[in-house]
Amino acid sequence: MPKYLCMQRNLRTANGPKGEKPSPAQMQEMYAQFGAWQAKFKKNLVDMGGKLGEGRLVTSQPAADGPFVEVKELVGGYMIVSAENLDEAIEVARGCPGLVGPSSGVEVIEIHTP
Amino acid sequence: MSAPRLAPHFFRHEYGRLVATLSRRLGVHHLEAVEDAVQSALMSALETWTVAGVPDNPSGWLFRVAHNGLVGELRQRTRRRRIVRENGSEPMGASEDAPEPFLAGEMQDDLLRMLFVCCDDGLPPESQLVLALKTLCGFDVREIALRLFSTEANVYKRLERARNRLREVPPSIDELTSEQYASRLPAVHKILYLLFTEGYLSSHAETAIRQELSDEAIRLASILAEHPVGEAPETSALLALMHLHAARITARQDASGGLILLEEQDRALWDQERIQLGLSWLADSARGEVFSRYHAEAGIAAEHSLAPSFAETRWEKIVECYELLEQVAPSALHKLNRAVAVAQWQGPAAGLALLEGFEPPSWLAGSYQWAAVLADLHRRCGHDHAARRYRDVAVNSAPTHAVRELLERRLQIGT
Repeated sequence: MPKYLCMQRNLRTANGPKGEKPSPAQMQEMYAQFGAWQAKFKKNLVDMGGKLGEGRLVTSQPAADGPFVEVKELVGGYMIVSAENLDEAIEVARGCPGLVGPSSGVEVIEIHTP
Repeated sequence: MSAPRLAPHFFRHEYGRLVATLSRRLGVHHLEAVEDAVQSALMSALETWTVAGVPDNPSGWLFRVAHNGLVGELRQRTRRRRIVRENGSEPMGASEDAPEPFLAGEMQDDLLRMLFVCCDDGLPPESQLVLALKTLCGFDVREIALRLFSTEANVYKRLERARNRLREVPPSIDELTSEQYASRLPAVHKILYLLFTEGYLSSHAETAIRQELSDEAIRLASILAEHPVGEAPETSALLALMHLHAARITARQDASGGLILLEEQDRALWDQERIQLGLSWLADSARGEVFSRYHAEAGIAAEHSLAPSFAETRWEKIVECYELLEQVAPSALHKLNRAVAVAQWQGPAAGLALLEGFEPPSWLAGSYQWAAVLADLHRRCGHDHAARRYRDVAVNSAPTHAVRELLERRLQIGT
């Protein structure tokens, strides 16, 4: 089955409304929803990936002065799913609790393997 | 890997425990920073555990993450302050990089300590209650407003008042003295009682939401009763009353959420094991000379719990308990309840006679309870005119649909 890279994209604008922090009871709910989602798409979830942290762009050019837009500002995290086609991969990603919402979206990209 | 199940209310209860422990270690004047750190730690757990699985010691994991986050934040604040003042002193001595191990017994102590911290007599009871719901039960402002029939702005205001007060508490006298524990115990009882009745008696439409509050009250009261600082006959009586009511909670509603009168309830639905538990706490409360309002109320609940049927209830005992209750906690509502019991014992005319010439305070006179009792007693005496008048008042002031339905059903007059 083809694999797809799912990148969580932060859609929050700098001066847009900040998402409200979930309460502990809501976190419990999210945890349960996440578990149910993982169970449902068990065969699709190849690599749960994770959040992105510090990084550096390495090029052959001498480093230009910043500031650069860091990838982690745009992409919060990634995971890899396997699916029959793009639509199925999208279904898996869309089902992930908290991934698609007012301040967050997901980019689903096929990974070509030779 | 799929995430294993966590205990019910795991996040909420961990929140309460961590806030209690960290604010003891680092000072209750840092309460807001503590709450932020705990919130962040829970978020990390949510993100990490769903991917990597739950660690062997989830509480320890959370404690470490919250502690490190908090110490980091406080250190940064200190550094900022120091730059401003160019002052080399290090005011933060209480925290170390490696947190001390986290002991289960200590957590219970910390929760209780926080409960006593909330019951600061410099705060009005409403602020105490909101603070306890926020810090110990882990409800957020929106959830508290929903549960207390209040607005978010109002809850926030009460919370701010409490936080401002706690910020003033100098860190040096952060440990409560045994005198403070003793003097605050009645306020602690009152808060737990309030928490329980908010859940048990409130007319909130959703049973699950109400039950959560009652469960929280029982959880905290149980910890209190088992601890030296809370061990008192009043605590046992309070816990008895909670169990004796909670044992019968499921029988109070039908499948569609309608309320069921005591006399119509299916007593087979009552939780006998819990009634026994309540009775054993009641027996425990009888040691010593103390007789509190909790004793009287637990006594009433015990009589109802033990009666094989509504008709066989020992109404004379219940009347006696209400008399005692009025003595220790005078309230027009208790008098009204006594009249109901007297009417069951000696007939509706006797009940009415008790209320004859009694001027209820305005908060009661305008309530559906007052009008409903008078409507019922007049109805049973055959005073149709008065019965109709009170019934209309009662139905019109019913706070919820379920209560209105119950009143209309119960207060039918003539045919």
